[in-house]
Amino acid sequence: MAHHKISVTVNGSVESVDVPSNMTLLTMLREKLGLTGTKNGCTAGECGACTVFLNGEPVNSCLVLAVECDGAEVRTVESLARNGQLDPIQQSVIDHNAVQCGFCTPGVLISARALLDRNPDPTEEEIRDALVGNLCRCTGYIRILDAVKDAARVGAAPGTGGSR
Amino acid sequence: MKNVDMQMHVRGTSQFVDDLAAPAGCLHAALVTSRVARGRIRSLDLAEVLAAPGVVAVYTHRDVPGLNEVGHVLRDQPLLAVDQVEYIGQPLALVVAESHQAAWQAAALGRADIEELPAVLDPREALAQGMIHGQKRILVSGDPDAAFQTCRHVVQGRLASGPQEHFYFETQRALAVPTEHDTIKVHASTQSPGAFHRHLAEVLGLPMHKVELDIRRLGGAFGGKESTAVWVVAPALAAFLLKRPVKLVLPRNHDIATSGKRHPYEYDYRIGLDEEGQILAYEVDLYQHAGACADISLAVLGRSFLHASGAYRIPNIRVRAVSCRTNIPPNNAFRGFGVPQGTFAIEAAVTHAAEVLGVPAAQLKRKNLAGDGDVLPFGMVLENTNSGRCWETLDARVDLAARHAAVAEYNRTHTDSKRGLAVVPVCFGISFAQTALNQAGALVNIFVDGSVEVSTGAVEMGQGVNTKIQLVAARTLGIAPDRVRVHTTNTSRVPNASPTSASTGADLNGMATKYACEDLLTRLRRFAGQHLGHDDPEQITIREGVVHLAGKPTELRWEKLVAAAQWARVDLSSHAFYATPNLHLDPKTERGRPFAYYSCGTSLTEVWLDCVRGTYRLESVEVVHDVGRSLSEVIDRGQVAGGVMQGIGWSTVEQLRYAPDGRVLTGANAYKIPDLKSLAPHFAVTLLENSQNPNAVCNSKAVGEPPLIHGLGAWFAILDALRSVRRDKDLPSLPLTPEKVFMYLHG
Repeated sequence: MAHHKISVTVNGSVESVDVPSNMTLLTMLREKLGLTGTKNGCTAGECGACTVFLNGEPVNSCLVLAVECDGAEVRTVESLARNGQLDPIQQSVIDHNAVQCGFCTPGVLISARALLDRNPDPTEEEIRDALVGNLCRCTGYIRILDAVKDAARVGAAPGTGGSR
Repeated sequence: MKNVDMQMHVRGTSQFVDDLAAPAGCLHAALVTSRVARGRIRSLDLAEVLAAPGVVAVYTHRDVPGLNEVGHVLRDQPLLAVDQVEYIGQPLALVVAESHQAAWQAAALGRADIEELPAVLDPREALAQGMIHGQKRILVSGDPDAAFQTCRHVVQGRLASGPQEHFYFETQRALAVPTEHDTIKVHASTQSPGAFHRHLAEVLGLPMHKVELDIRRLGGAFGGKESTAVWVVAPALAAFLLKRPVKLVLPRNHDIATSGKRHPYEYDYRIGLDEEGQILAYEVDLYQHAGACADISLAVLGRSFLHASGAYRIPNIRVRAVSCRTNIPPNNAFRGFGVPQGTFAIEAAVTHAAEVLGVPAAQLKRKNLAGDGDVLPFGMVLENTNSGRCWETLDARVDLAARHAAVAEYNRTHTDSKRGLAVVPVCFGISFAQTALNQAGALVNIFVDGSVEVSTGAVEMGQGVNTKIQLVAARTLGIAPDRVRVHTTNTSRVPNASPTSASTGADLNGMATKYACEDLLTRLRRFAGQHLGHDDPEQITIREGVVHLAGKPTELRWEKLVAAAQWARVDLSSHAFYATPNLHLDPKTERGRPFAYYSCGTSLTEVWLDCVRGTYRLESVEVVHDVGRSLSEVIDRGQVAGGVMQGIGWSTVEQLRYAPDGRVLTGANAYKIPDLKSLAPHFAVTLLENSQNPNAVCNSKAVGEPPLIHGLGAWFAILDALRSVRRDKDLPSLPLTPEKVFMYLHG
């Protein structure tokens, strides 16, 4: 298997990583960079647990090859809190108790953050559209929906979280 | 109080098995599995596997130092196949390699020369061939034959319900680390610390004190990590033989293809009623599609059997149940554990009867609803059920008569679309039906700085049991919850623990924790009395971390009390044990009191159906459920909502398909679980007010499984809409996918 030296900015820091051609972004994050917050739920792009930002867009990192990320900017769940302060969407998920086992949570947070970044005032239908690819087997979704609605309602600009 | 792990979960810092830093030299395990559903093994060809890049070792049953057996109840499940295979996906050999990918790629190269035998994939056919697990069970109460003679209406039919994949987000996995003195430590994703500890020791040929099983948290389980130990034992075997750490993480599609499911069932039912709609007699045959090994199927069957009367008072009943041995992966526990299936049959029978009588099903259900004082078919007298109160609470919230009228009016005025509704009452026995399992231990340590550490046999899998245990400990000791930490579930701290299942995790382990804390409190109160120069410990209490004397606060605070007590040589560690009292079931007569109490509720589900396309959407789900005096409303509401949604998934979209040869066809891309768009626009959970339960910890009631049954409301509401279109067909099977709905309407 051919290996490639890539340079990728992950959560703000530039990383030089040696990756085999067939390694996914997900595996690179978890195994090469030790960022285990991003979870592997299905390796098939179905569940959304591995969602991360790639150049500002939410992607299933199990469907992206690491070599495709040469020169790219990646952000994971570990980057949502700034200086220890939770992002408003993280705080809202806690406020609404929208977590049970926690395995889907990182992906849900990234998809929700991505939605609020491009549409700070989404309708319920828009929230459902944006998060339909993030499955959750525990909660039954109602609290996830409420958490995203509420984060939008309080004006969820990143970096203002943790105050409520 | 909130789930204690939530802060970590949202930051991505909580650790599941695969997030633990891999120890130096860690290897990865994979399994070579059978591609044939039934046959005799002539030979295995593993040369290519061994020659594949990165492979370190390949093991077969001959390499097992102890017992090559992981059968959970019966000894019928080899860890690695010996001379025959019974299902596609059965493990044949264990591969160990330098990476996860290398291990699974190599495993795919394994070849087996197998003399194929005809596979049996139909439960009724298996029964006809005498392929069953255990014994048939028969329960008779009253005189059903005589009663049927007197019935004004007798309705009968056939039914089927399908399998359900657990789809826990974290697939099966374990990390095994050899330690000194030929001991081994295993970090695993399992609900069954005690049983898996034993399986590990048996397979490795070690006494149990040389094996330590540690469980931090699970990314969901839902029963699927209770009984099948293959994926925990296999990496431990490799680690033990190689003296190196070994991890096994089951790839999702391998997990779906080879792990157990909720059991599909087939049913024959017959129900008899009098003129007024009173149920006089019910007869049901339960054919359980169990798979190739008994696993935990007989216990699941037992629960279907004991819940055959559902939420109803049925004076004359005959239940026959049989576990059919078929050539698919052994099915196992899934939230509800047979009760959803038993309930489905009686709900369908009552609904079918209502059709024949020309009355709303809800009317028959309310009329026959079992309540306090009624006797179940196995002789247990119901008490403290609140079943009627749940129904009335729901009715007060939604006005059932008005809802029925609205649906009828809609259907009268629409032809291309219809609406449907269903009321589903739930009546779920709490306790392991196997009396011996109703036990738990807890170890509570108080440290000299005043911090408290609790260990129990309970496994945290997202259901919030650790938070409940933390609350019980804090409340009992009279201190703030943040002084208490619930430690990992570890077989060296709490041995021989029952699985965290049957909704009993908090009931059993919470009670053991309470007892241990009460024991410590007794010692501390006695000491505090002496310390304060007061002889009567009865006058001493601890509230909010302050010692009170005769109800008044003193200067003595918790951390000072604890430090002084330790210095005065008071034992600050306590182990306690709880065994649910007064449980029994005689297997010969099928009579007894197997459950400590019942968990009841009622729900209303409404759907809208597109009669042209066969698609539907849930409009409203209203659930009222009794959780006693809740230990944590936040957690209990979450359990109810999540359980209902899983039940809705089972009833509607979750369809697992097998190929004619017994292969599972539906991987992660084809097996659909509910998503955010499955959530009804109106979804409300009401916890019954003013409920007490003397039979569980702090007056609470168990909540894990019972609410799942409300999800059946989706199936019955869709059925209601379908039957308003046409009734010239038999009842369809469960789940009612849009495809099946379309075929019902237009086929």
